[in-house]
Amino acid sequence: MGFSLREVDRVLRGTYTRREELAEGRIHVPARTLVTASLVLGALYGLFMGLYAVIGPVPGPRFRQLLMTTAKVPLLFLLTLLVTFPSLYVFSALSGSRLSARDTLRLLLVAIAVNLAVLASFAPVTGFFTLSTGSYPFMIVLNVVFFTIAGLVGLVFLWKALNAVFGARPGALEEGDEFETSAPGERRSRAVLVIWTAIYALVGAQMGWILRPFIGAPYLGFQYFRQRELNFFQGFLRALGRLLDVD
Amino acid sequence: MLEVGRLLRAEGRYAARGGSVPVRSLAAILVLAGFLHGAVMGSYGGKLLQPLFSGLKVPLFVVVSTLVCLPNFFVLNTLLGLRDDFAAAVRGVFAAQATLGVALAGMAPLVLVFYLSVDDYRTAVVGNGLVFALATLAGQVTLDRHYAALVARDARHRIGRFAWLALYVFVAIQAAWVLRPFVGRPGLPSQFLRDDPWSNAYVVVARYVWAAWRHALG
Repeated sequence: MGFSLREVDRVLRGTYTRREELAEGRIHVPARTLVTASLVLGALYGLFMGLYAVIGPVPGPRFRQLLMTTAKVPLLFLLTLLVTFPSLYVFSALSGSRLSARDTLRLLLVAIAVNLAVLASFAPVTGFFTLSTGSYPFMIVLNVVFFTIAGLVGLVFLWKALNAVFGARPGALEEGDEFETSAPGERRSRAVLVIWTAIYALVGAQMGWILRPFIGAPYLGFQYFRQRELNFFQGFLRALGRLLDVD
Repeated sequence: MLEVGRLLRAEGRYAARGGSVPVRSLAAILVLAGFLHGAVMGSYGGKLLQPLFSGLKVPLFVVVSTLVCLPNFFVLNTLLGLRDDFAAAVRGVFAAQATLGVALAGMAPLVLVFYLSVDDYRTAVVGNGLVFALATLAGQVTLDRHYAALVARDARHRIGRFAWLALYVFVAIQAAWVLRPFVGRPGLPSQFLRDDPWSNAYVVVARYVWAAWRHALG
């Protein structure tokens, strides 16, 4: 199934992550649909993110940077998933998840689609600031903030889904011991979420660092990929320092 | 004026409910009221074209800031499970923006008197900033009316409203910075945009604060 806005709408409305279906370990949405949606939404944000290279003071082939950024944003999320999925599945299965490997992949793809939909909704804001500022460090900080907000929303979505997977066992309400049944489930879902988040965020941040440049530094020429140096966190702090003109 | 009265009281087609949003009439109110206030705002330097420029820029500022934030508002409302109320929420947001315009127009005579009472450009700018802050609060009163029923129905609307306000203020500050001058510095020619419009309000403020901090520390 290809991409359609209706599918994205269903993802956002939680049509594919209903509590009762998650509790039974089922997610009825083709992975291909989610991958296509993620590619389109990520590319949309990438297009606006890469606009700085076209409008801003970046030397070199500007449209090539725009194309690269459009491709790199969705790739960042999907490559991170590719790298982390095996470990994510192992940890969730160890914690007693009812989701099969395929359904775990679908759940993670749903969370990524939500993440990218929120990111894409920030695209006009990014475009507006790109048009109205030449400050490269500001654009870095702004993008990091938007990626973080979108990531947090995706995490909240995943947290609710995991609670449904681990917490609400069928029949629990009828048996009248909801608290007894859901409390350990909630602990398990929290543990899985923490592990998943730690692995995905660390790998994702570093993957983003490896895939840079996304915006295109005004003082450097066009590059497909930068040389390996520092890491994401050191780079972010350096951008903050430049924003404030710290020597 | 009848329409403005209905808007301010949230009555008739401006009432807090769902259904189609009266975009055209709200836009017409915003453009007219915004133009009026902008024209007065730009009259500080006694220049011919600045009132016209500022009159055009005030509604433009509100419209651009609103439209840039709408996609995120839509996605967030959908994620919160509030999609069925989205039309009512947008109705509230648009009515609030039109109210902001009306409040600005209502305070235009105050700005004129204020201009007659001060001879310092910076004071005029700060005074106009306060007028905008008051008008924004007036817009929030309308938004309150629209959101009261929504929050009573579902408390998650509070999150949607807060997120809207946070993003809107963030964008509006930069939009106001880019579209300056609104008041028009005496001695300078009338300008639609400054010679260096493509700078960043937050970077400028951050550098000022940082410089002040370093100065304070010696």
